Amino acid sequence: MLTKKFDPLKKKMLQILDQDGNIVDKTLEPNIPSELLLKMYRTMSLGKIADIKALQYQRQGRMLTYAPNRGQEAAQVGAMAPLENQDWLVLAFRELNAMLYKGVTLEQFFLYWYGNEAGSRFNDDVKVLPISVPIASQINHGAGLAMASKKLKKNEVVVAYVGDGGTSHGEFHEGLNFASVYDAPLIVIIQNNQWAISTPRLKQSKADTLAQKAIGYGMPGIQVDGNDVLAMYAAVKEAAERARSGEGPTLIEAVTYRLGPHTTSDDPTIYRTDEEVAMWAKRDPMIRFKKYLIDKKIWSDEQEEKLVEELSDYVNTTFKKVEESGLVSLEDVFNYTYEELTPQLKEQYEEYKAYLAKEGK
Amino acid sequence: MYDFKFADIGEGIHEGQILKWMFQVGDKVKEGDTLCLIETDKVNAEIPSPVSGVIKKLGGAVGDTIHVGNTLALIDDGSSAQPAKKDTAEAKPIQEGEENSAGVVGQIEVSSEVIESSTESYQKADVPTKRVLATPVARQLAKDLGVDINKVTGTGEMGRVTKEDIYKIKESTSKQSIAKEEPIVSKPISFKMPETTSADVTRVPITKIRKTIVKNMVISKSVIPHTTVMDELDVTNLVNFRTEQKELALSKGVKLTYMPFIIKAVVLALKDYPVFNSSFDHEKEEIIYKHFYNIGLAVDTPDGLIVPNIKHADRKSIIDVAKELQVLSEEANNRTIQLDKLQNGTFTITNYGIFGSTFGAPVIKHPEVAILGVGMIAKKPIVRNNEIVIADIMPLSLSIDHRIIDGGDAGRFMMRVKEYLTNPMLLLLS
Amino acid sequence: MALINILEAVNKTLEQQMEKDPTVVVLGEDVGYEGGVFRATAGLQQKFGEERSFDTPLAEAGIIGTSIGMAINGLKPVAEIQFSGFMFPAYNQIATHVARYRNRSRGKYHLPMVIRMPYGGGIRALEHHSESLETLFAHIPGLKLVIPSTPYDAKGLLTAAIKDPDPVIFMEPKRIYRAFKQEVPDEEYIVPIGKAKLVKEGKDITVVAWGALVREVEKAIKLVEEDGISVELIDLRTIAPLDRETVIQSVQKTGRFLVVHEAVKSFGPGAELISIVNEKAFLSLEAPPTRLTGFDITVPLPKGEHHFIIDPQRIAYEIRKVVRY
Repeated sequence: MLTKKFDPLKKKMLQILDQDGNIVDKTLEPNIPSELLLKMYRTMSLGKIADIKALQYQRQGRMLTYAPNRGQEAAQVGAMAPLENQDWLVLAFRELNAMLYKGVTLEQFFLYWYGNEAGSRFNDDVKVLPISVPIASQINHGAGLAMASKKLKKNEVVVAYVGDGGTSHGEFHEGLNFASVYDAPLIVIIQNNQWAISTPRLKQSKADTLAQKAIGYGMPGIQVDGNDVLAMYAAVKEAAERARSGEGPTLIEAVTYRLGPHTTSDDPTIYRTDEEVAMWAKRDPMIRFKKYLIDKKIWSDEQEEKLVEELSDYVNTTFKKVEESGLVSLEDVFNYTYEELTPQLKEQYEEYKAYLAKEGK
Repeated sequence: MYDFKFADIGEGIHEGQILKWMFQVGDKVKEGDTLCLIETDKVNAEIPSPVSGVIKKLGGAVGDTIHVGNTLALIDDGSSAQPAKKDTAEAKPIQEGEENSAGVVGQIEVSSEVIESSTESYQKADVPTKRVLATPVARQLAKDLGVDINKVTGTGEMGRVTKEDIYKIKESTSKQSIAKEEPIVSKPISFKMPETTSADVTRVPITKIRKTIVKNMVISKSVIPHTTVMDELDVTNLVNFRTEQKELALSKGVKLTYMPFIIKAVVLALKDYPVFNSSFDHEKEEIIYKHFYNIGLAVDTPDGLIVPNIKHADRKSIIDVAKELQVLSEEANNRTIQLDKLQNGTFTITNYGIFGSTFGAPVIKHPEVAILGVGMIAKKPIVRNNEIVIADIMPLSLSIDHRIIDGGDAGRFMMRVKEYLTNPMLLLLS
Repeated sequence: MALINILEAVNKTLEQQMEKDPTVVVLGEDVGYEGGVFRATAGLQQKFGEERSFDTPLAEAGIIGTSIGMAINGLKPVAEIQFSGFMFPAYNQIATHVARYRNRSRGKYHLPMVIRMPYGGGIRALEHHSESLETLFAHIPGLKLVIPSTPYDAKGLLTAAIKDPDPVIFMEPKRIYRAFKQEVPDEEYIVPIGKAKLVKEGKDITVVAWGALVREVEKAIKLVEEDGISVELIDLRTIAPLDRETVIQSVQKTGRFLVVHEAVKSFGPGAELISIVNEKAFLSLEAPPTRLTGFDITVPLPKGEHHFIIDPQRIAYEIRKVVRY
């Protein structure tokens, strides 16, 4: 049991692939088929490129405020890979790579950050909840999804994300508590990227690790090297098995780093040092994963070059399409408040339409 | 005597079953002693006595169900009156019998009162009648102008009654009032009559004609500022002339009185002083000069005073006027006079001379602006060429509407009439 | 038919719906084993089991937040907030998620859930147990809010709320929970959400009320009938979306309007009703539309509560004032 072997109270953190791309403990290396490894790598690469380009678009004035994911690709994809199709993904707001892996299209992703609700209307078979702006409130949603799954015997596991900042919120506490009391099949992953905007991790909690908060809920918690895609995979795989067998929730703290700013409106140079960033840049999950794949002889620099070109084109094309999608219609603004328009809404809509017609708009 | 009622001991119970009594009737009990054991939904509760005293009555036997609010026990604690209910400050606490706690806090009224079943499928009668549509401002205007807004046809959107609609109605009723002689005065005078014992007086309701006269007199006197100028006319010539022509007229079937002469003289004077043949629109502040001369004559009938008028008296000869006067007099007495003869007069002459009066202060017939009162012609001594002679004297009294006619005009008008009546030849020549 | 009070009607409705629809679940603090502090959910856990009717930890945000997740994933949660005064910790979830989930996801997700809570004063309780917070819910687009005044309406509205594909707040006027009984059909039926009830026809003035005050207005009507005043009484039943048509048709007939509510006056539900009357019945008005409400104060503790509770005498006084304008 990884959670037993890597007890956060004993300052143990799970790592399988170190920052140089070497396996630390062969016995822990998960047996992932090559296609799956490549799928994971492709998704992480797409996420990385989309992320870099989104920042560029924003600086070009083509994108609104955007929250980048750079440096957190493994914490996200590593967790999605061991899941089944019927499993759920509950978002905070910095999970681009997880979203892509779970079936959210890049177009939808860009639409959202571009300012269009259509971006949250994921395809019918995509079991992902929309981005949740009120911090940590989604943990309760995740607990609820899991509780329903259990009651209806759906055999679903729910993975809910939250940041280190979010662990201070009451909703984080309530959600974990509920999930634990009902033995709900929930996995909560804390993307501890060390910063909540300008607030460092140590200001969020005096506890040595965030993972050890699990003890308060009577559930296992484990601290994982979030930049280690294999460790993430292993930890979530075990947690999912626990959940599916009815043993209840697990808390996973993915220790990672936010290489970019909080959002494009943030200047991190104000509150953190270049040295710190440089240090963490060396721990970039993409570097070590690429090396791992090359060592396994399933990847090459040539393939890398081709992939980068392919993905760059794809990202550019997708974004252009989103740029051409235009404004949200008046009907869409009204039609989703309830299943059917109330008399008040109907009247307001009609009056406004009449006004627009009169003004020739 | 202390009436110890079974209270909700918590969590919204409303009844319990008595399991065991620790005391019997007649026993002495101390405050705090356990009185009995009650079983409820939740707990088996020991109920402690609230007072010390002697048990006078138990509220039920073992096995009985006792409801919250019913007497559990009567304890004689030496107090004479019922102890006041907990709080006197509250205005209206629980109404119906049983008291009950809310779950954990507060108290909820518990009652078995039954209310009417719901008639979800009520018959909604066809669309309830809508009231007239009008803004509050329009409604207020209607009230101020004395217009019944429900009778006004609205010309606004959705049949809304606008302020203009209300003004129009007001105007047309005012216009009609000129024809119908409707009053401008809005408020009738009303006052309370002093009380009298029925033995001393007899109350008689007045006739319709009298009612009209009442109305008209009040209007005239309240709207028009009256003033009267008077004069004595030496009508010796007229008297002689008439005497001469009397027989001639009679042969033509006409009774010749002085009135046709007076009428003629007045009409000629009216042509020179048209303001006396007008009406005054006080609201619009306009004098309405009339181009027709309908001279009214006050006629005393058994029913009361009526004023028929001779239409277009300017176009009629003295004989014509005399004839018409006769007819009018007959019709008036027979009460066969037509309404149109009573309408649209422009100037009135009232002859109270036939009753022996001389001067008067006649009341102007609204909406006319002047009235000429004629007194009895009598032989009087006058000074002519510095000598006292006997002459036939006709007293005239002219009341005028002082809003538009001043004393000077009145004097001049009177002078003109005087000219014609003192020199009847002038009348014939005009 | 059963002769029952409002509480019993709620209980029977939950029982009936849980029977007919296996996805209906009931949750909240103390609702499961004990059956709720007012016994509204009594017997449900015993009958349907702990999976269907269960006690939650003491955490309102958690109760509503997990209800959201459950509603997304195939259940129909009927969550209880123990007293409306405690809804505030849950308000984050209610305003930022419950109301918006359909719109945010453009219809991919919607929340067929009900949030029940006892509300209103007149029960001489502690602080925070007597609030009337209609406006805080009615003002949020995406929520529906209903308030029954009789056992018949309680069952009908709760059934409709449970069947509604969108979230419904079900506020129960606890002052009259057990104040009277009424014949309620045993079979399933609904009272449509968004439809007010014409309780009594009249011609001189339209009075609108809901919850516990409907009965107080009925008492006031008897008082003013002695003066020859004929009152038309409307029980709103649904606060959001409000049935404007019934109210307007009535005011177009009577020309006068009075709304009576416990909630605070300023920015309260009465203001909305008066705005509607002004917008749509302006040309029929004989007197300014008026509201008789609670004061702009915190609901007093029991010893001062009598000032706050609106009694029939005050209602009658206000009716006369409006009629004699």
